[in-house]
Amino acid sequence: MTIEKASGPSSQPREDERTTPAALVIGGGVAGMQAALDIADQGFQVHLLEKSPSIGGRMAAIDKTFPTLDCSACILTPRLSDVSRHPRIDLLTYSEIQSIHGEIGDFRVRVRRKARYVIEDACSGCGDCVSVCPVELPNEFDQDLGFRKAIYTPFPQATPNAYTIDKKGEPACRDTCPAHVNAQGFITMMKTGDYARALAIVRDSIPFPGVLGRVCISFCEGECERGYLDESMKIRNLHRFLADWERTQDVIEPVEPSIDKDEEVAVIGSGPAGISCAYQLARKGYPVTVFEKQPLLGGLLRYAIPEYRLPRDILDEEIQRVAEHGVKMKPNNPVESIEDLKKRGFKAIFIATGTWECNETGVRGEDAEGVLHSMEFLKKVNSGEDVEIGKKVVVIGGGDAAIDSARVAIRLGAEEVTLVYRRSGIEIPAIPSEVEDAKEEGVKFMLLTNPTEFLSSDGELTGIRCVKMRLGEPDYSGRRRPIPIQGSEFTMAVDTAVVAVGQKADIHGVQTDCECTKWGTVTVDEVTLATNEPGVFAGGDIVTGPLTVVKAVGQGREAAISIDRYLRGIPLDEGRAERLHRVQSYEVDKSQKEQAKGAVMPKQGLASRRNNFTEVELGFTEEVARQEAERCLGCANCCECKLCVDACTREAIDHSMKDEIMDLDVGVIVLATGYKLFDVSRYPQYGYGKFSNVIHAMEYERLINAAGPTMGHLVRLSDGKIPENIGFIQCVGARDVSKGVPYCSRVCCMYGIKNAVMAKEHHPDCEVTMYYADIRAFGKGFEEFYEMARTRFGVNFVRGRVSEVNENEENGNLIVRVEDTEKDIVHNVEHDLIVLSPGIQPPEGMGDMVVELGMDLAIDGYIDVADRVITPVDTKLAGVFVCGCADGPKDIPDSVSAGSAAAMRATIILNRYQDKS
Amino acid sequence: MVETKGELKQPSLHHPSSDFSEEIANEPGGEDITKCIQCGMCTASCLVAKYTDRYRPRRLIQKILLGKREEVLNSELPWLCMTCRLCEERCQEGVSLPEIFGAVRKIAAREGKIPNVFKSTASLVLKDGWMLKDTYTDFIEDDRDDLGLDTDLNWDDDFVKKIKKKYFKEDKTR
Repeated sequence: MTIEKASGPSSQPREDERTTPAALVIGGGVAGMQAALDIADQGFQVHLLEKSPSIGGRMAAIDKTFPTLDCSACILTPRLSDVSRHPRIDLLTYSEIQSIHGEIGDFRVRVRRKARYVIEDACSGCGDCVSVCPVELPNEFDQDLGFRKAIYTPFPQATPNAYTIDKKGEPACRDTCPAHVNAQGFITMMKTGDYARALAIVRDSIPFPGVLGRVCISFCEGECERGYLDESMKIRNLHRFLADWERTQDVIEPVEPSIDKDEEVAVIGSGPAGISCAYQLARKGYPVTVFEKQPLLGGLLRYAIPEYRLPRDILDEEIQRVAEHGVKMKPNNPVESIEDLKKRGFKAIFIATGTWECNETGVRGEDAEGVLHSMEFLKKVNSGEDVEIGKKVVVIGGGDAAIDSARVAIRLGAEEVTLVYRRSGIEIPAIPSEVEDAKEEGVKFMLLTNPTEFLSSDGELTGIRCVKMRLGEPDYSGRRRPIPIQGSEFTMAVDTAVVAVGQKADIHGVQTDCECTKWGTVTVDEVTLATNEPGVFAGGDIVTGPLTVVKAVGQGREAAISIDRYLRGIPLDEGRAERLHRVQSYEVDKSQKEQAKGAVMPKQGLASRRNNFTEVELGFTEEVARQEAERCLGCANCCECKLCVDACTREAIDHSMKDEIMDLDVGVIVLATGYKLFDVSRYPQYGYGKFSNVIHAMEYERLINAAGPTMGHLVRLSDGKIPENIGFIQCVGARDVSKGVPYCSRVCCMYGIKNAVMAKEHHPDCEVTMYYADIRAFGKGFEEFYEMARTRFGVNFVRGRVSEVNENEENGNLIVRVEDTEKDIVHNVEHDLIVLSPGIQPPEGMGDMVVELGMDLAIDGYIDVADRVITPVDTKLAGVFVCGCADGPKDIPDSVSAGSAAAMRATIILNRYQDKS
Repeated sequence: MVETKGELKQPSLHHPSSDFSEEIANEPGGEDITKCIQCGMCTASCLVAKYTDRYRPRRLIQKILLGKREEVLNSELPWLCMTCRLCEERCQEGVSLPEIFGAVRKIAAREGKIPNVFKSTASLVLKDGWMLKDTYTDFIEDDRDDLGLDTDLNWDDDFVKKIKKKYFKEDKTR
């Protein structure tokens, strides 16, 4: 956890210029607030650090205080505003300690201020953002009983009065996508039925929702968290649905070009990389010209991918849409040289010419007539030329081009199409669903086979000779290397062979004006895509070698960012290699989700698709798409749909906010880190988490609170019934040696009695029973309160610890088994609601902080004080004080007293240092 | 409410004393007796108590704590615990009732206060070598036969003889 100070000695004031040190109070609960106020009132500067978005701590969530039954919020909220308005209190909410160094009078504390994504000073707390936020999450302030939005404040009086966006980072889908499509975002918008907005989110990253919705290899689906539960989301098909949906609309919102800059940019090549780059640049306001050698736009999207996978009207429309952004498209316009473009006044150039040349197998006889190469074969077919093909066709290779060639051959009327691939079915690099489709259409797969010779007579192909292969050790690509099996050669008679063993760049192409590798691909910076020529960038297959469409689209997008920075004179790489936190699998709670398989894409029937080029995959219906969208787990919580940004009239929301590191110099530290409730599910015999009508006291507090999830109506959560007979079970996770909590939690008896009394206040006819071992009514007015509960309110007190709770399955009531030790009888008592009163424990993460300070924890896990009797708020480390429940369980008045005491002890030290300076 | 089986004497005024609980605490297994706060978790958990009203483990512990030595040692109740240890599992004070009752039984046995039924069980084992000789009837033999099992259990009392030789005869020779 410790991070060494990077800033060096500069942040540490020299001895002679040191001013009166400030105090740091860690924890913004009622004790910490009191300490901060008291220190500040004595004239010292205070930093009040709180982990959650608001100060107030546990007391803010409690309904009433004991023994006076005052409203907790009514007492607390004036203090909240006192703290927030105090000129000497610097409130650091949503912040965590990273490291602490130094000693009394001179502690150097490094604080991480977590990004709230809302500018605290600008936010007025109006809540306009909340109503538009589509993401609903369990409300932890209400003990997960109710829901809140991804943009939230924990409670209405939260201080500071600013909203917080709950964003865990970047979901796996978006992190994986080379083009960075916000899949969680558009799927969330689909859930709400706002397809236009969903489409806008997709179009934010890519110009091709329809094209990529059909041909994307969908890396995102491979990483989808839902896949760990049942089956990955069908992300690709969902954005295809959005594109299809838009085409069915009567009115499509027109594109408004916003070219407002002067620097002309040239893009060479109108394939996925080029179009993507031009699109992003045009949206940034640059005038862009796309130069295309071929007569039609689209690059390999048009000339390599067959029409049954990608209908041309979809491609044309999406390219047309890019043109409508103000991009000038120039087909039939080959570029001679980079220099030439520069002379024509282009300030930046993007090379995206792709890999159009075909690799050769290098096998004897490859020049025979009847041996075709996949690129020229597909290009001819896709250009509408007539291609003669024999009856028996062999396709060599296992990539997408091979599968495409095989399926095209079937559609051209070949009687028998065999695909020869040298590795096994596992290594086949083509999209699996395409392989399945090809098999369905009758393509035969001859795996672990490699051609050794093309046989011909009179220059015409007559057959091929092949050899069987086996798999050896994995090679550099991680796939097992195929090794020929001696003596397994055989011969096949074929009329046509299509060689599809990869593509390569044209080594004489225009890209050679820049520094290239020996394969003719451009050498670029991995992050910025800059070539060695200033102002010239490259992306897509011409950089990576033949890869996927989405990778090319992603590089086009990255290049656009680089070009924008280049033209504005901003460093190209600043902050770009830094990745956002990817939401990890363990951060996504899948335990409450039911299994549901993904939607299946409907396909055209085999008979009708085998002899024509109409689209095979038919697309989702709206109903199926909505159902599929519902499966999304929403891994990152906030989906970054940015509806809140539009709703906010004060421009207070900034989704690009990052965590900040702050260094504080303080003289004293007050620890007021509070407590955590004992996890009552560790008592399986009480059935918490299994029986829905067993709740714990903090949940009960929220249930009876007027601002809680039920607006203060005390009902059973399972069926909304008003409880007629409530049982309270005491000492759950307190005074239990077997659970490692041998000490008394000190507050449970009294809050238990208070809860019992409140039950009577809510429903006077309700039977209320408390099961206890001792009642520890040790404080002022406590015994009287206990007496009052017994006599005036008629709460039954049964002395006896409950051994187990069972559920009556008919009505959801709970049967408590207990020995009434005063009457010497064993009962089975039926209640309709059971409230467990958990003990309290040291908070999580306290150990880390104490180690950071160089202190020890007491054996019970709380902070050890120097002397329990004389210095109850001094820790063993000079200059560090403790108050509230950080050193042991306390009720509210005791916590506040300790807060004041710690403040006094702290200011004594601060005064000493003030005198020195 | 005297539950002892043997002597039925007029209940006289009992003077509470910690003598007996100290005696138990000194016996291995009985150390935790003084930790008990009489919360009743054991009785409510007890599986034996579910079937009989006579058996109330908390009350037995209470009697030990009150020093009712003779009443506890003469009672057969400490012998009824079937050591399922559910009470021990749930006891929040860390008291192990089966261990305490074990200590009680040890003291009782030393003083010859073993309930007859337990005595006869032990002698039966010593006599037959196992407890269920009487129950091994022709019917079971037939059942075993039907199931294809060997009807001859091949049981001998060698082991018990060894035990007797090792412990009982030596006892006499001493």
